[in-house]
Amino acid sequence: MARYYDFDDILMEEEPVSVVFRVAADGVGLLDPSSEDNNVEAGAKVDLPAWLAQELFQRQAVLVNLPTFYGQKLRKEIQADPGCVDLRSRCPYFYELGCKLSPITSDPTLGAFLLSTLRGRYKDLLCKSHSAAVAFTPQYMNLLTKEETQMLEAGRNSMKAFKKWRLQGARIERAAVLGRKRRQNT
Amino acid sequence: MYGKKASQLCQELSRIEDDQLHPFNNDLFNQVLEESNEHFYQLESRMTKMHADGLDLQTTQNQDYYGGLIHHLSLLRNKRCLLTYIYQRTQNIQRLRWQLGAVLPEDIQERLNHFEKEYFKSYSDLIGSYMTSIDLDLVVDVTPPKDPYIQVRVMDDVGEVFLDDQSTSLLRNSIHLMKRTEAEPLISQGLLEEFAG
Repeated sequence: MARYYDFDDILMEEEPVSVVFRVAADGVGLLDPSSEDNNVEAGAKVDLPAWLAQELFQRQAVLVNLPTFYGQKLRKEIQADPGCVDLRSRCPYFYELGCKLSPITSDPTLGAFLLSTLRGRYKDLLCKSHSAAVAFTPQYMNLLTKEETQMLEAGRNSMKAFKKWRLQGARIERAAVLGRKRRQNT
Repeated sequence: MYGKKASQLCQELSRIEDDQLHPFNNDLFNQVLEESNEHFYQLESRMTKMHADGLDLQTTQNQDYYGGLIHHLSLLRNKRCLLTYIYQRTQNIQRLRWQLGAVLPEDIQERLNHFEKEYFKSYSDLIGSYMTSIDLDLVVDVTPPKDPYIQVRVMDDVGEVFLDDQSTSLLRNSIHLMKRTEAEPLISQGLLEEFAG
């Protein structure tokens, strides 16, 4: 409930997850493109957004399959070199969605896999965020998930704040006032 | 897919930079409301059907129950997205009060809808009456000043103003040393610029 108003959380829950219905449901034909009447049969395999999949799982109405980007193929790629794998195109909320799905799927290794992925990519991320003055290669940014981009931004901002603090008070004052003025013009 | 339009609203929020404000997306907002109404009718019709069949709504779990459940969950989801959209915008509007003062520039006014303008006004009044009651202007000196005086350059012909209880003429490009608290609102309105010698 704490993240009720968090739009990142909302968008994360919009990611599609493949599920198998254990029960039949009437009047929701929109969910299953292959259904001919307006109903979903038991045993139908359907892609649902994560929010719906999770709620239905808790009521034992569906079985959840892990999305392919948590599968063996990508795990091998990440084992080979975590830093070079393009996670964004697979799922912009790779970690958050994984954490959400981890308790509702039968795969016990998912959590450990997510942790080792982040660990493998984190060092590189931290180095790049602190050398903010060096022009960023946009290619690298394109590989990052939303969570990683936020971490990178946080690292760069604290570096910026640190530099500002080192270059004495007068400059802080000037930037603060000018910053406010610029905001007004936008 | 259910909840798709509602998430588009939130997507719009996530694209916006921190200090920008887009016009209120009435069109999409109303579409989500319509979709929610539709979910509600569907849910209601499932429930009346179960009632007509003489089933106990609390315990039966047939296909009507699950159909209704999905509509119910979609309804809650839409509600969450709509509330988030409004909530995040009000947060931005509150920030505007601190950054720009009680009167908003024309172009920002246009991006607020009727209720948001009301909200801004009430919020501004609240802060105003609080600041009067404690007799302190909370908007100035957001960053602690090092010096009570600053040097400023005048950006535009302002004319005669009262500064520090005496009349001063602010001519374009002239440079003045004045009290920070007096300069700050004029700087944020774009009339003065801080002059770093």
